[in-house]
Amino acid sequence: MRPPSPSIPEKEFLFASLKQSLRLDGRSALELRTPTFTYGPELGWVECSLGKTRVLAHVDGKMVKPPPERPFEGMITIHSEISPMASSDYEIGRPSDEEVTITRMLDKVLKRSDAVDKESLCIQAGQRVWHIRLTLHFLSDAGNMLDCACLAGIVALKHFRRPDIEVIGDEVIVHAPTERAPVPLAIQHTPFCLTFAFFPDSETSPILDPNQLEQRLSAGLLSIALNAQRELCVLQKLGGVPLVNDEVLRLVDVAVTKAQELNILVDTSLREDWAQRKVEVR
Amino acid sequence: MASNTRHDGRQDHEFRTLNISYDGLARVDGSARFGFGDTSALASISGPIEVRLVAEQASQATFEVLLRPLSNVPATEAKALGATIRSALAPSLILTKNPRTLVQLVVQSLSSKGDGTQREALTAAMINASTLALLNAGSVPMRGVVCAIPVGRCTAGDRETRLFVDPGETEISEIQGGGCFAFVFGDKLGWGDGDVECVWTNWKSTSGTFDENELSRARELALKAARAVYAEIKRGVKTMGAVPFKFNEKRVKEDVKKGLEAELKTEEGSNDEKMEIS
Repeated sequence: MRPPSPSIPEKEFLFASLKQSLRLDGRSALELRTPTFTYGPELGWVECSLGKTRVLAHVDGKMVKPPPERPFEGMITIHSEISPMASSDYEIGRPSDEEVTITRMLDKVLKRSDAVDKESLCIQAGQRVWHIRLTLHFLSDAGNMLDCACLAGIVALKHFRRPDIEVIGDEVIVHAPTERAPVPLAIQHTPFCLTFAFFPDSETSPILDPNQLEQRLSAGLLSIALNAQRELCVLQKLGGVPLVNDEVLRLVDVAVTKAQELNILVDTSLREDWAQRKVEVR
Repeated sequence: MASNTRHDGRQDHEFRTLNISYDGLARVDGSARFGFGDTSALASISGPIEVRLVAEQASQATFEVLLRPLSNVPATEAKALGATIRSALAPSLILTKNPRTLVQLVVQSLSSKGDGTQREALTAAMINASTLALLNAGSVPMRGVVCAIPVGRCTAGDRETRLFVDPGETEISEIQGGGCFAFVFGDKLGWGDGDVECVWTNWKSTSGTFDENELSRARELALKAARAVYAEIKRGVKTMGAVPFKFNEKRVKEDVKKGLEAELKTEEGSNDEKMEIS
């Protein structure tokens, strides 16, 4: 079902306030809603919220036989179907343009940027590898689900621990979490996605992390995925807004500082959670 | 398990800590979370909303239940469970008030044990979460409130089968079947047992024998526990998440005990053993 367009007064009010560099939720133009993380009872269960936007990420792993063309690499699958829980605008089995964009971006940011070292997931070449499955559930859509999903996904991957294994000859022994401490995945870098919204009026400056109304009324979106080490993974521009080179470079610089902030935030949050858990794991 | 106490110190009729919270998801009409211990589910309700032409019904609202497992995409199992939940909840809703509309319920599993050891508990948590979401939305007319409770069974030699509410993680290896019971409560509505009616169960046995007496005992036990769950839901509805829900073990124990006492009065007190509550 196509969602109804925002009303004309809503639109005019938003554009007029943005022209004065004011946002409806009181943020400044390049301010991110502070993400919060809730960890579940098991490892690899993370709920990330960006304001009222909420995404739940869950990671699980199992052993499979690798495809013959890639015998030394583990597999990573990302499921990101948007259910009507996010909003009744989304329908099951009929992906909207937004859903397609999100799925493709997640694939690029989390999988193709080699955030997880796939070769470390190999157990026996050509015989057995780990298959890591990341499922993202979009619980609530209040704008910018993409950034929230990327964040939830990467945090869940960092939070997840797989059972320790031992290979003796042709036999694989899987150690229960009570026997040996589970091992984290080999994460090579931590990419973050940051989305900027542009408006039809060229005098309005771009804003970071648009909320739902801002996203609906924007003329174009620029999503930059990069890590705290200033390595750019993906740059995606949607909508036909013309942009000068300098503007893109400026936004990349902004994204770098935000990514560094996020990196610290994520690391602190994971460390705090892990400190709490140690009591239980022993 | 010789005595009445279980591995985790609970009595046969006690369930794990309840977790109830109202999430206030942004773009649905109502949402709530319900959990027995760590086994929890999140439900959201939208409706009455515009319905697709194919699903439109001239005389009543279309009630759609979508179930989402924690990992992977929903498959046959999720659809079957969705249909189960739909059939358990449908009797409590008055859908004829809003013809040609859609009432959409999305249930999200939050526990990965749902496809294995904690299946019954998760089903019950899903039904209870859906009920809470419906109450939170308040947009669909309801006849009563559906509460579900899991019950486990185990046989020990030639003794009478032992039944207990909400099997925990440590008891799973010992149980031989069991099931989930859903009751619809409607104060002063005068159904089967006065104000309550069993709307759904999936009672099963994996130890070979099964008799009607056992089923009715399980139903009695489930009803007592379900009454306590209902009492907790009812208490929470007054504030609806404005005051965070806190599980009060003592209060719940008293609720269950009250249920037992009422039962004993009518049955002229035969089994005093059940009265021992620490």
